[in-house]
Amino acid sequence: MAEEHGHGTVAASAATEERVAHAAPNYYLIWLYLLIMTVAEVVVAFVSHLPETWLILILLGLAVWKAALVAMYYMHLKFEPPRLVLLILAALPLAILLSLTVVTMEGW
Amino acid sequence: MSAHGAVPVSVTRPMEGMKVYNQKLGMWVFLLSEVMFFSSLIGAYIILRFANPQQWAEPGEVLAVPLTAFNTFMLICSSVTMVKAFAAIEHGDQAGLKKWLLATILLGAAFVGIQVYEYIQLAGHGFVPMRDSYAAEGGPLYGATFYTMTGFHGAHVSIGVLCLSFTAVQAFRGRYSEMNYGGVEIMGLYWHFVDLVWIILFTIVYLI
Amino acid sequence: MSTTQLVAPNVSAQHWADPSHRDERPFIRKYVFSTDHKVIGCQFMFLSLFFLLVGGLLAMMMRWQLGYPGQPMPWGGVLPETMAPGGILLPEFYNSLVTMHGTFMIFFAIMPLLVGMFGNWLIPLHVGASDMAFPRLNMMSFWITIPAGLIMVSSFFVAGGASGSGWTGYAPLSAVPEYSGVYMGQKLWCISLVVLGFGSLMGAVNYITTIVNMRAPGMSWFRLPLPIWALFITSILVLLAMPVLAGALIMLLFDQLIGTSFFLPESGGQPLMWQHLFWYFGHPEVYILILPAMGIASEVISNGSRKPIFGYPAMVGAIVAIAFLGWVVWGHHMFMSGMNPLLGSSFMVSTMVIAVPSAIKVFNWLGTMWRGNIHFHVPMLNAVAFVAMFVIGGLSGVFMASTPVDIFIHDTYFIVAHLHYVLFGGSLFAIFAGIYYWFPKFYGRMLNPTLGKIHFALTFVFYNLVFFPMHNLGLAGHMRRIYDPNQYGFLEPLQPVNTFISVSAFLLGAAQLIFLFNIVWSLWRGQRAPANPWNANSLEWSLPSPPPHGNFTAMPRVYRGPYEYSVTGREADFWPQWDPPDGRPAPDHSPDGVLIGDEKPASREPHR
Repeated sequence: MAEEHGHGTVAASAATEERVAHAAPNYYLIWLYLLIMTVAEVVVAFVSHLPETWLILILLGLAVWKAALVAMYYMHLKFEPPRLVLLILAALPLAILLSLTVVTMEGW
Repeated sequence: MSAHGAVPVSVTRPMEGMKVYNQKLGMWVFLLSEVMFFSSLIGAYIILRFANPQQWAEPGEVLAVPLTAFNTFMLICSSVTMVKAFAAIEHGDQAGLKKWLLATILLGAAFVGIQVYEYIQLAGHGFVPMRDSYAAEGGPLYGATFYTMTGFHGAHVSIGVLCLSFTAVQAFRGRYSEMNYGGVEIMGLYWHFVDLVWIILFTIVYLI
Repeated sequence: MSTTQLVAPNVSAQHWADPSHRDERPFIRKYVFSTDHKVIGCQFMFLSLFFLLVGGLLAMMMRWQLGYPGQPMPWGGVLPETMAPGGILLPEFYNSLVTMHGTFMIFFAIMPLLVGMFGNWLIPLHVGASDMAFPRLNMMSFWITIPAGLIMVSSFFVAGGASGSGWTGYAPLSAVPEYSGVYMGQKLWCISLVVLGFGSLMGAVNYITTIVNMRAPGMSWFRLPLPIWALFITSILVLLAMPVLAGALIMLLFDQLIGTSFFLPESGGQPLMWQHLFWYFGHPEVYILILPAMGIASEVISNGSRKPIFGYPAMVGAIVAIAFLGWVVWGHHMFMSGMNPLLGSSFMVSTMVIAVPSAIKVFNWLGTMWRGNIHFHVPMLNAVAFVAMFVIGGLSGVFMASTPVDIFIHDTYFIVAHLHYVLFGGSLFAIFAGIYYWFPKFYGRMLNPTLGKIHFALTFVFYNLVFFPMHNLGLAGHMRRIYDPNQYGFLEPLQPVNTFISVSAFLLGAAQLIFLFNIVWSLWRGQRAPANPWNANSLEWSLPSPPPHGNFTAMPRVYRGPYEYSVTGREADFWPQWDPPDGRPAPDHSPDGVLIGDEKPASREPHR
């Protein structure tokens, strides 16, 4: 049942909010995708005999995709103004750079 | 009427800005700082693991993957209940809001409970963060990074459960409506973020 | 079918000022637990100046030891035996002094002054809002700084004394109490900074939201005064860098408290990891410490020269470039860590590149002053000094950016000279400029200009006498953080230089008393400040001094940029942002509709 989103205001704030009316996403379908991908992750980690690099890439890829689903649908980013999405995306390279500081270290 | 570089503006409203209301922008900005915090912990974990891979056990040997997979499932369910709570109040459904908020709180509390149980089990088998007293397979770095990453995540979940309780109290007092749901929405953003972090952590800590 | 609705929430959510100026809040809500950004700004001023004094006092003690090694310090008898038996500083206490001087100055003086005080004072007024986006969060942000400060001060008085591992807290020295003799003090240091970090973070969220979402009609991004651009970008740096420090501090705390081994090599920990995490925060941190100062300098220099800022878009671009590049230069603090030379080279290149936007800003300040009608009021004196001293600090920075040179000068007094030229010569002079400039607005009193000029002159002279010789000391091999340089024969001939610096430092410290006296005296007896004593253009000068609670009586309307000075054809040499275009009435109470904006910005026309 597609419901209409996007009406209503939020009181006590100082900025206008542009609400784009759109069909509500099927939250249960997203939940199902997340479930399937979680099971897939566990299977890949324990049952498959892939070489380590592939394993890590696939698992991380699945995790990132799950995270993206949560961000886009549950956190509504798919329906927010593009400038907000850009703000968030702009910060991500810094987080990735920080996580990968390991590349600067060597000698073990 | 001049048109050189003219910008049509209203006299009673501020400039357009981010086109979302203040509390929502504020929450997203705060969540970006949380991304950096967890990235620092994850970055440290990666460095330590690359330097001392022998201190890590194979996935599933020390940590209880089935139990945690179930915990992950519960947290994902709590994200569904949270977004259902928000969808409810967007349409003015007070009963729905209360029902789904309570469900989220329950699931969140259960997640924390299971994690605490898991910690007790692990510590009982000698898997601890300290450098001098570990007995389980692996080394002290395994424990230190495990407890730090999952511990801070668990703390964030606990704070979320606390704040959700306040939100629920407000909901029961009828403070939200289809004209006033910002508090629920930003609480939802925080909660989904906590779920999102767990999605990453579960993979990195338990499966790799 | 998707439709777009422009939803206008309750716009009176901003609580404008009561036109009759009635303010019936009780004293405690008005001046103590206040959510008014102006009051919070004033609170930050008092708190931070107090810590500036504390930091200065710590430095005076260090300078005593360096200038008069092994001799009992005047009034040293008040210190306990664990710090200075018989008034002679112990080496361990000296290490604590070094550490805490840096810690207090950076985290409890400069940051709260630039970001807490100026951010709170200026942001809502410059964007045309009644207050910050989250006034109660703002209040919390100030009040959390106080326990953080108390915890830091208390660390001096616990067994083992205060942290002695440098403001950079390198592990394993900081992680293992047995190495330094400091037990509780290091833990308190970590906890204090984590608490302070929360306050900074809350402030950053508030500032970003306010600047993005609460700009008054007509206040487009490129009509914002440069302090706001600077504070906006700085807030983004605070938002993204402070959490990394928090992560590192927590791991350090765990190493000390629960026996983990994040940084301890014998169990596989990585000391180098501390350096990476710390400097990943630490480099953006130093841009946090300079960008708002640059914004203030732009404001004051434009006003004092009666000319628009030269190259406003480039100034904005430079701020953004500095912040952006600041994330990829952190390795230049680690050239001596044994890193791969290729990595060192890449950090060298990025560090050299970051000098370019800073240089652009310097040339633009000069371009602003060029052929201007310069008024050497006290803020202007300090702002011009800022530019000159920042150039010196920046040039010494180019030396250390070059890896082979840095191998020689790393951890010497050359570095100490550099950092003080940019932090004192740079940030602090800009802070002085800003206080002299905005004190009248927020306290309703002018600061005495004669005392201001004397304070400036003495500070400028003594400051250079203290820090310039440090370049020479460093090149001669004098290392930093050292209690007794005379233990090395080759440094003994330099003792007279150290004594000279110390005497100059004592005089520099004494000169600051003039500033403090000026503040206290002016609060009670200063000349009452008019609304616009500097004939300036930004929105705060349209209001009484001090502005009422709620700032404006209705949402202000902005018609032009903030640097319309000496516009051709106009009689006055300034044209405020709020002044409606000639011949048109100010439509501030027109019905909620859409107006066509104003004429082409005058600053695009040539100036005489």
